[in-house]
Amino acid sequence: MGEPICEDINRVRRHGSLELFEHWSIALSGLILLFTGLFELPIAQRYYITELPGLAWSGDFIVALKIHYLASIVFVAAAFFHVVYHGLKGETGLIPQRGDLQQSLLVLKSFFSQAEEPPFEKYLPEQRLAYLGMALIIAGLIVSGLIKTFKNVYAPQLDLTLTLWATWVHNIFFALFFLAFIAHMVAIVIRPNRPLVRAIFTGYVRLDYARERHPLWMAHLAPPEAGRPSLAAAPGEVAESPESPEAEPPCAPKDEGPPGEPT
Amino acid sequence: MNTHARSTISRRSLLKASAGVALFSGLGLPRIARAAKAGELATLIDLSLCDGCAQLDQPACVQACRERSVPRVPEPVDPIPPLKPRGKIEDWSKRQAVRDRLTPYTWLFVQEVHLTHAGQTRTIHIPRRCMHCDNPACATICPFTANHKHRNGAVVIDPGLCFGGAKCRTVCPWGIPQRQSGVGIYLDIMPTLAGNGVMFKCDLCHDRLMEGQTPLCMEACPRQAMLIGKRDTIYAEAQSRAQRMDGYLYGAKENGGTSTLYVSPVPFDALDAALETGAGRPHLEDVRRRMQATDGLARGVLGAPVIGLVAGLFLSLAGRGAASREEDENHG
Repeated sequence: MGEPICEDINRVRRHGSLELFEHWSIALSGLILLFTGLFELPIAQRYYITELPGLAWSGDFIVALKIHYLASIVFVAAAFFHVVYHGLKGETGLIPQRGDLQQSLLVLKSFFSQAEEPPFEKYLPEQRLAYLGMALIIAGLIVSGLIKTFKNVYAPQLDLTLTLWATWVHNIFFALFFLAFIAHMVAIVIRPNRPLVRAIFTGYVRLDYARERHPLWMAHLAPPEAGRPSLAAAPGEVAESPESPEAEPPCAPKDEGPPGEPT
Repeated sequence: MNTHARSTISRRSLLKASAGVALFSGLGLPRIARAAKAGELATLIDLSLCDGCAQLDQPACVQACRERSVPRVPEPVDPIPPLKPRGKIEDWSKRQAVRDRLTPYTWLFVQEVHLTHAGQTRTIHIPRRCMHCDNPACATICPFTANHKHRNGAVVIDPGLCFGGAKCRTVCPWGIPQRQSGVGIYLDIMPTLAGNGVMFKCDLCHDRLMEGQTPLCMEACPRQAMLIGKRDTIYAEAQSRAQRMDGYLYGAKENGGTSTLYVSPVPFDALDAALETGAGRPHLEDVRRRMQATDGLARGVLGAPVIGLVAGLFLSLAGRGAASREEDENHG
């Protein structure tokens, strides 16, 4: 695998293009599923949503269901792909590790006090815990959704108990998915996490940020060289990038192998 | 206007019909078949036999049904909470006696149609209730599974789970379920912001069916114009009757098929044209199952795990192959 560090432009590759594709497939289809799932409740007419420009269809349960199904195809396929692809490649960086809960509490404490954050791997401990939580929610939504879909097409007389379970798991996990989405949004507006936002759009984060906050990850990528000038800011802060954030990284990976976890 | 072709009888259906006739006549079964506890059931309504119980204040089937339905609607709260930001309260509690349309209290009523067919003036009486469709959208896409199609074919609303959003009525091609506001669990949650009561409709006397009894309407009918029995038998009997009277069938194909077959000596499009239809007064049009338009996409959803699995396998194995070749080249 090619070296993901671009010293000259102060960038390090955090996500491959395939990972970005996976993330955005899940995220965008998940958002569509949230809204079209809501429109399966009789609320669009009552709450004037049908009168909003471009949303007249929201009051038609069949049209909303078609869009829900379309988004489900992307969502379910991406989720299964994610598990199989990264599972077979042995990429387990997002799987929670022993002590993550304790570490997460320290990190949360550091957000609201002067306490220093512990050094991080590629992913923050709370990111790994959130990943597990989101994975369980998505798994619950997919399993219950598949049962409901099967019933809709092939088995309208499916056992009542199973149908009730599938329906209420789907409904409850829908609410959890919405809450998890809100928590995800809150996480990215917390100041120390903001440099990570760039990565989910471009695949790259600032090298100085990574060296400062993710030294354990950087140690895997490139062992520190003696006498290398540090780009790191003072502890607890994040140095500003020397160039415009819009600048396209010139060392976009040309010689990288199959995209995946660099760790 | 939709038209209904004269029932076509294939050789296979003729055989089935013959078997049905043998079962009904040769074996001496009563005209009202006792409902089986297990297996899928269907019902038959023979419009050539129904006379609307002209000699009675109200049709016997309607009276029997109301003895069951009226006590099942709880007394609504007073006042019924207003709906925000908008919504229509539907309160039938002061109009429980209405019997010329479907209401939360009237799950079965009889439409009377006067028409001229083949040069003959006729009056046809049509008992109307839930058709208990084979794949009912009202049940499959109920957001709380308050409405469910049971294995015996009955589509039953659980008033303890229903929020009265009337989605079932919206997706029902005949608009059968009827709402009573001010009752049900929505009152315990956010009564002004979500929900609007409970939906009510014919449940085919599901509890009686489970005990091996027939629905009350059928038990009460003095002319045995309604039958219930095993689905295959009823379908065969309906075909047979339609053939014998040179008549027509309704319900076998409508909305993708139903558990209710009407047999009529008069075409259903003619009946529909003469009917007074509207809210609570269902039509007799040739309706298609609207959910069918979503079936293809639904199959795509069911296939999506395979798409993800295959793509994941392919790309991970392709990646391994590329890495292996690179390693070989480096060592070579």
